[in-house]
Amino acid sequence: MKEVTTGNHAVSYGAMLSRAQVIAAYPITPQTQIVELLSNFCATGKLKAKFLKVESEHSVMAASIGASLAGARAFTATSGQGLALMHEMIHWAANGRLPIVMADVNRSMAPGWSIWTDQNDSLSQRDTGWIQLYCESSQEVTDSIIQGFKIAEKVYLPVMVILDAFVLSHTSEVIDLPDIKLVDKYLPPFKARDMMDMKNPRAFGGLVTPDFNFELKYKIQEAMNQTIPVAKWADREFKRILGRSYGIIEAYKCEKADTILVTSGTITSTSRYVINQLHAQGKKNVGILKIRMFRPFPAKEVVAVLSKAKKVAVIDRNIGYGVGGIFCQEVKAAFGNEKKHPEFFNFITGIGGRDVTPKDIQGIIDYTETHKKPKEDIIWVGLRK
Amino acid sequence: MQSKIKVIPTTLKVKDLPPTAISMSNMLFNKTGSWRNYKPVYDEKLPPCNATCPSGEKIQGYLYLVKNNKFAEAWQLIKQDNPLPAVCGRVCFHPCEVECNRNDYDESVGIHNVERLIGDYGLRHNLRVKIGIKKKQQIAIIGGGPAGISAAYHLARMGYKPTIFEAERQLGGMLQYGIPSYRLPKNILQKEINSIIKMGVKVKTGMRVGKNLFIEELAKKYHAVLIATGAYKERNLDIPGEEARGVIGALDFLHEANLPRRQAGSGKKPTISKDVVIIGGGNAAMDAARSALRMGAHPKVIYRRTRNEMPAIPDEIRDTEEEKIDFIFLAAPVKVITKNNKTVALECIRMKLGSADSSGRRKPIPVKGSNFRIKTGTIIKAIGESPETSFIPASLLKDNLVCTDKWGMTAQNNIFAAGDAVTGPKTVVEAIGAGKRSAQAIDKYVRTGKVTHTEIPEVKPVRFEQLNTAYFEHAPRVSMPHLEFKQRVKSTKEVYLGYKPNEAITESDRCFSCGVCNFCDNCWVFCPDMAVIKKKNKYEFNYDYCKGCGICASECPHNVISLVEEKK
Amino acid sequence: MIEIRFHGRGGQGAVVASEILANAFFFEDNSVQTFPEFGVERRGAPVAAYLRIDKSQVLVRCKIYEPDHIIVLDPTLLNAVDVTVGLKPGGWILVNSNHKPDELGFPSKFRVATIDATSLAIKYHLGPRTSPIVNTAILGAFSNISQFMPIKVSMKSICGAIKKKVPIQRENNIKAAKEAYNMVIIDKELCKAK
Repeated sequence: MKEVTTGNHAVSYGAMLSRAQVIAAYPITPQTQIVELLSNFCATGKLKAKFLKVESEHSVMAASIGASLAGARAFTATSGQGLALMHEMIHWAANGRLPIVMADVNRSMAPGWSIWTDQNDSLSQRDTGWIQLYCESSQEVTDSIIQGFKIAEKVYLPVMVILDAFVLSHTSEVIDLPDIKLVDKYLPPFKARDMMDMKNPRAFGGLVTPDFNFELKYKIQEAMNQTIPVAKWADREFKRILGRSYGIIEAYKCEKADTILVTSGTITSTSRYVINQLHAQGKKNVGILKIRMFRPFPAKEVVAVLSKAKKVAVIDRNIGYGVGGIFCQEVKAAFGNEKKHPEFFNFITGIGGRDVTPKDIQGIIDYTETHKKPKEDIIWVGLRK
Repeated sequence: MQSKIKVIPTTLKVKDLPPTAISMSNMLFNKTGSWRNYKPVYDEKLPPCNATCPSGEKIQGYLYLVKNNKFAEAWQLIKQDNPLPAVCGRVCFHPCEVECNRNDYDESVGIHNVERLIGDYGLRHNLRVKIGIKKKQQIAIIGGGPAGISAAYHLARMGYKPTIFEAERQLGGMLQYGIPSYRLPKNILQKEINSIIKMGVKVKTGMRVGKNLFIEELAKKYHAVLIATGAYKERNLDIPGEEARGVIGALDFLHEANLPRRQAGSGKKPTISKDVVIIGGGNAAMDAARSALRMGAHPKVIYRRTRNEMPAIPDEIRDTEEEKIDFIFLAAPVKVITKNNKTVALECIRMKLGSADSSGRRKPIPVKGSNFRIKTGTIIKAIGESPETSFIPASLLKDNLVCTDKWGMTAQNNIFAAGDAVTGPKTVVEAIGAGKRSAQAIDKYVRTGKVTHTEIPEVKPVRFEQLNTAYFEHAPRVSMPHLEFKQRVKSTKEVYLGYKPNEAITESDRCFSCGVCNFCDNCWVFCPDMAVIKKKNKYEFNYDYCKGCGICASECPHNVISLVEEKK
Repeated sequence: MIEIRFHGRGGQGAVVASEILANAFFFEDNSVQTFPEFGVERRGAPVAAYLRIDKSQVLVRCKIYEPDHIIVLDPTLLNAVDVTVGLKPGGWILVNSNHKPDELGFPSKFRVATIDATSLAIKYHLGPRTSPIVNTAILGAFSNISQFMPIKVSMKSICGAIKKKVPIQRENNIKAAKEAYNMVIIDKELCKAK
């Protein structure tokens, strides 16, 4: 059923269609509408879930961990400072190998106090063992949450579905809400590993000596390795049953491209708009590589697409201070042992919610095409210097 | 024998290990109970309300039942200790509320308001208490006031058929003739008394000791006799003019004022002047002033100390003030001014407070030359009462009171005494408690020939600091609906209107349940070793796994769990 | 693609107006994208909302800097902010005003229409008297002038969207919109002058 809805409500619909069973949540701008609609679903019985009001994001994740451990499908959502407060429990969820799905509405970290988007909040959690999916449209948000449970419950790692504050969270657009019967077919009820059994009690989360913890950490990496094929399978299954597919990355109009933009989030969408216009004008040497799955980082897949290009312009709505754009670092690292690699241009833009316009994208393309090499390690787009 | 902790070989490889930090197998072998130094035990303690109640009501118990909408069960529980809950819910000075730990948090639980509703519920639904196996011993009770009624009730519960000898026409004593109906409607009192009579209590009215009733004769005829004659002899002012017309005692006044018209000796209500003056600061003074107000007078109360030293219960003082009755503090009467043996004024002298006297209150000292007069046609004396003992054998007396041991037995074995006759003037609930204790003693005596003195160890009630108040929400006391001033003075209708059931439930839910488990599940929830086992109506510890961390004890809001040192 | 910018004051319903209009266009098989000026809003302060309409999926995701048309919910804004900033020549300006279009003094490169939406809102008791909710009335007027635009929106769709998005007084809102449809004043001269 088609509907005009916001990115935030797309999250709530995703959780509802996935039949989440426990939702612990704490409201924070710009995520609040997600919690509002979910609590409404729970109150009206549209979603048969236990809705837990807790006192902080730290407790949100603690409650989700308990719920997931006990065998419930647990969902939550947060943003910016809330995600940061959750950090300790973020590690816990992943190390506990719990298939929790959480939406994070990207919000710039304070100070300067901000409610607008950039990716530094979610990217600060990149090494916690969570799978991360970055979305460019409300449709992708709903679908990614459903896919997120499919992946999480297969590899036993939690999934973070990420959307831009306001640009997506508060923007209404047309989305096609999947038929819940089809979602049920795609995503059967969660059957937890029988770790919690009152008749056969085991100790959970206790002290692990150096004799064994090394092996346990290895297992997380092993699960991450497994995640790439599993995510591809989950996406194929989604296409088969629900008719849409995203890939873990997407090469857009790269067939004849010698310059490729690397994008994530809503910048991808605006870039498509620019590239479509260029191609319509007959200029077909520019394409886009959208990175949807950032963790695990699909290095092989990224290299396969980008190695055909001469120049790669990585557009980062984030910054690893002292290094540069975080996506750019990952892309460069993916080429680490390759003999040949394209010239990398690292553009930083849109931080703190600064609007990213088609003009900005065009400027990035122009700069990349007119320079053999970047003049600076980081090219700040739209900075008033 | 505890099995040994399994050592996991460090040769295990990735594939042999569990997916996350979880034990390799069932952990039941690991009996963590062996680590324990202290052991938690469920150790219910005495709530302060219960400890302080003169009749020993299990207050926490009935609040818990009311909270769970079990009014009939609450009535049964209260009736184990108190035969007159509807009465006490109205007139008791509720020391339980003074001791209530909730005072240290916000406001005490409105115990007497709930008690009143429970009592009324029992009357409305005609509830009955269970009566024990029939006993044939005959017991005489002299005096049908609160102590006598209480003793009769408790004896009747045990299966006796005691006889009450009452001097007046009606049972109730001070309840009947002393307490005005705007505080205690007569029909409530009557219903509660009737329900006790129906239990097999015989009543003989118009029987006055020394006139047509003699203690020694009764002691021969009956297996046991209880003296419960109360304290109704009024103290005199000992000032000139006291014998004049227009000077009356408060009890006489209240007695007359309280009689229904057709019963009153004169056939009329007592006549008082509009400018009536009441002397005294006790409950009788308050009752007299408020009754006079309702008869159309503008009463003035004269008290020789200040408001702070008034012996009347605070609620009564507050209600009297609300009815805009004038108080003249620090003044004492010195002379009644008469004209043709009729009172026309009261001469008083100003007082000031000196150092504390034996009662702990500051002693009033007259201020020389400060005499003043108050014009009045009626003076009501309310300066205290004492027992009438002239008809009691001198061998049973000491200091003008009946002398008994702790169980109420006098110097003569089968004669017992209880209430104000023993203690001097006290409160209704203390008389009820005394009646209960003497009923228990009489029961033992008539069955065994002696009263065994089992010393009950003194138990310290739970203090506020011993509770874990983190689990209690602040909540205001449910206010008691009452008549406004204008409605009050027009009639003798009851001032307080009583809780509705839902209000009683809300109020009961404020109870901290000090020292008594109310199944809040905290111990069960918090135990990190799942060593608390939930059973029907109780919890148990599984000492195999309880490692004695004490979290249950610290998280119990009610101080029910105690930690005792483990014997090694 | 058509881009519309809404100007209003916090509490007047500009954001809801953009959502209602988005839904109305959606009912007629268009792709839509609408969003408020991102951030914090205060009652009475100037606010903006944006709407994009296209036959194919709307991909561009940034604010609208050069709108095709603008809708002004509060006449006092005309003195407070330059509502026409970036407005494309030939674009429509629909203003809630009890003046005639030519009395408002807009440059002749724009096409102007006015509707006294405040009176209609008061007439139909929409919102408190002190701050009437004018959004549904002004959309009725928009439906009328959309006949001069490449993508039109019918009154039926407007009414359907009101029913869907307005939580209270749906019937009165619809009546106000319908009356506004007929009451809108279009400046014929300015129309020609484009």
